[in-house]
Amino acid sequence: MNDAAIEATGLAREFKGGIHAVDGIDLRVSSGEVYGFLGPNGAGKSTAVRMLTTLLAPTSGSASVAGHDIVGDADAVRRNIGVALQDAAIDPFMTGRELLKLQGVMHGIPRSDGGRRAEELLRRVDLMDAGDRRVGTYSGGMRRRLDLALALVHEPNVLFLDEPTTGLDPISRQTLWTEVRRLNAAGTTVFLTTQYLEEANELADRVGIIDGGKIVAEGTPAALRAEVGEPTLSVALEDSVQAGLAREAMARFGAFVDTDEQSVAVRLPGGSSALTEVVRALDQCGVVPRGLDLSEPTLDDVFMAKTGRRLEADEAPES
Amino acid sequence: MSLALRQTQALSRRAVIRTLRIPQAWVPSLFFPLMLMAIFSGSFAQAPGRIPGFPEVAGFIDFVIAGIILQAVLISGTSQGAALAIDIEGGFFDRLVSSPVSRLALVSSRILANVVQGIAYALFFIGIAMVFGARIEYGFLGFLLVLVFTALLAAAAGSLGVVLALRSGSAEAAQGSFPLFFALMFFSSAFFPRETMDGWFKVVADLNPISYIVEGMRVPIVGIGDTTDVLIGLALVVGLVALGFIACLMALKRRLRGDL
Repeated sequence: MNDAAIEATGLAREFKGGIHAVDGIDLRVSSGEVYGFLGPNGAGKSTAVRMLTTLLAPTSGSASVAGHDIVGDADAVRRNIGVALQDAAIDPFMTGRELLKLQGVMHGIPRSDGGRRAEELLRRVDLMDAGDRRVGTYSGGMRRRLDLALALVHEPNVLFLDEPTTGLDPISRQTLWTEVRRLNAAGTTVFLTTQYLEEANELADRVGIIDGGKIVAEGTPAALRAEVGEPTLSVALEDSVQAGLAREAMARFGAFVDTDEQSVAVRLPGGSSALTEVVRALDQCGVVPRGLDLSEPTLDDVFMAKTGRRLEADEAPES
Repeated sequence: MSLALRQTQALSRRAVIRTLRIPQAWVPSLFFPLMLMAIFSGSFAQAPGRIPGFPEVAGFIDFVIAGIILQAVLISGTSQGAALAIDIEGGFFDRLVSSPVSRLALVSSRILANVVQGIAYALFFIGIAMVFGARIEYGFLGFLLVLVFTALLAAAAGSLGVVLALRSGSAEAAQGSFPLFFALMFFSSAFFPRETMDGWFKVVADLNPISYIVEGMRVPIVGIGDTTDVLIGLALVVGLVALGFIACLMALKRRLRGDL
C-alpha cells in the first residue's frame, strides 16, 4: 500500500508502426489532489488516461491507481475509479435515469439502492427535469453533466476526467468546474486532462505539461509560472514621443520586451512591489500613461519555454 | 442472483429496449421475412404434392416457417452486431469496460438480447402462418421445440454479429457482412427441399450445415422426418453456438488488449 492515489513509473505505450504515444512518464498524484495534464491534441494525454483507467495495456513501465496495479489488479482499479472519457457518446436512445441505473449495476450496486442513487445524482448535476428524457434531446452541457454523474455512481476515490469541458460554453464550463471543486473538497482525487490553460490554472493543484508523450514540466501552476520568469509591465501611451520618454524612465527597472510604438513593456523582477516606483519615475519624466498592465507569465509561456511552441491559447475561453 | 448474471440481464435489457426504440432495428427483421414468406407461399402454393420430390406437407407456408425464422434471427443478429459496433465507435463500450463489469456479460448480453428478439419474431411468424392456415403437426411440444431451435439459431446469429463488431469496431463493417450470411441461408434447404435441387447447388446445400439445422427444425412443424433429423439439427446448431461463443471470447480478448 501507499498513500499515492496514482503512481506511474516509466509508463509507456507504443502503437503499431513505432508510434510512441506515451513515452515513459513518471507520475505521483497524492490522495485528495487535483492533477491537471495539460497538452495539445496528440500529446498523449488520452493514451495515458486510457492506460491508467485499464482500457489499454502499457507496452512498458508500470502504474498503480488507488494502490492497485493497473495490469495485475485491473478489476480492483476499476472498482475505485470513475471515468468520464473525452467525447464518450452516451447512448442517445436511453434516458439519463436508465443509464445511471445501468451504470449502477455495472458497479454492483444493489437494485434497491440503484434507483435512489440515480435520483440523487440527477439532482446533484441538475438534471432532475431531464432524467426521464432520452439523452438525444440533451444539450452539450447536459450530456457532460450526465457523463460526470455516470462516473460518480459508485462514489469513486479517484476520478478521471478526459477533457471534460472541451467544446463547452463558458457557463457550462463554470458549472462543471464548480462540481469538480466540490468533489475534490469532499476528498476525491481528480486526474484531469485539458488543452485549456485556464482550466489547468483554475482547477489543478499541480500541473504536468505533456508534449510528444513526455512530461516536460511539472509543478503547481504558480511555481511553473515563476520558473519561466518575471511578470511583464506594459504601459500604453499617447504617441511615440511619450513612448520615448517612458522608455528612458523605465530602462532601469528591467529588460525591454518588444511591443508596438505606442507602448513600452519591461520584465519586472520585483513584480507588483516595484509598481509604485515605476509610476513615480514615469510621472517625474512627464509621462502620462493611458494604461498600465502587469501580467504574470501564463502556463502558455511555460509551454513555450519548454517546447518552443505555443499551446493553442486562442482556443482557450475568456474568463 | 450472481452479479455477472445481473449485469448480463441489465445489459440485455438495455439492448432490447434500444431495439424497440429504433424502428430501423426491428422493422427489417419483420418486413423482409414476411415479404419472402408471402412471395414464396404464394408462388409455390401448389408445390407440395405437385413438384416431384417435394415432401407431402400440408402447405408451402408450413414448410417455409423455419427458414423465415432463420432469416429473421440473422437480420436481428446483424443488427445487434451493428449496435455493439456503435457502442464501440462512440465510446459507450469503453465506459462499460472501465467499470468492473463481468467481461463475459459484455458479449453474452448481446447474444441473449438476440435470443429474446428471435423468440418474439418466431411467435410473430408462427402466428401469421397460422392465420394463413399453417399448423404445427406435433402440437404444443412441437411448438416448444421450434422455439428451442429459434433460441439456438438466434444465439448463433447473435454471436456472429458480436464477433464482427468486436473485430471491426465499425457498424458499417458489421452491417456490410450481412449478404454473406444471406448467401449461406439461400444456398441451403431453408426454403426448398434438397430433393428438388440438382447440380452444384445441391452439392452446396448438402454440405451446408444450415440445411440440416432447418430440416431438423421443420420436423415438428410439418411432421415429416424422424428424431434423428431433429437430433442432427440440434447437435449442429449447438455446435454453431459453441463455436460462435468461443469466437466472441477470442475477439473480446483481442479488443480489450487494444491490439486492433
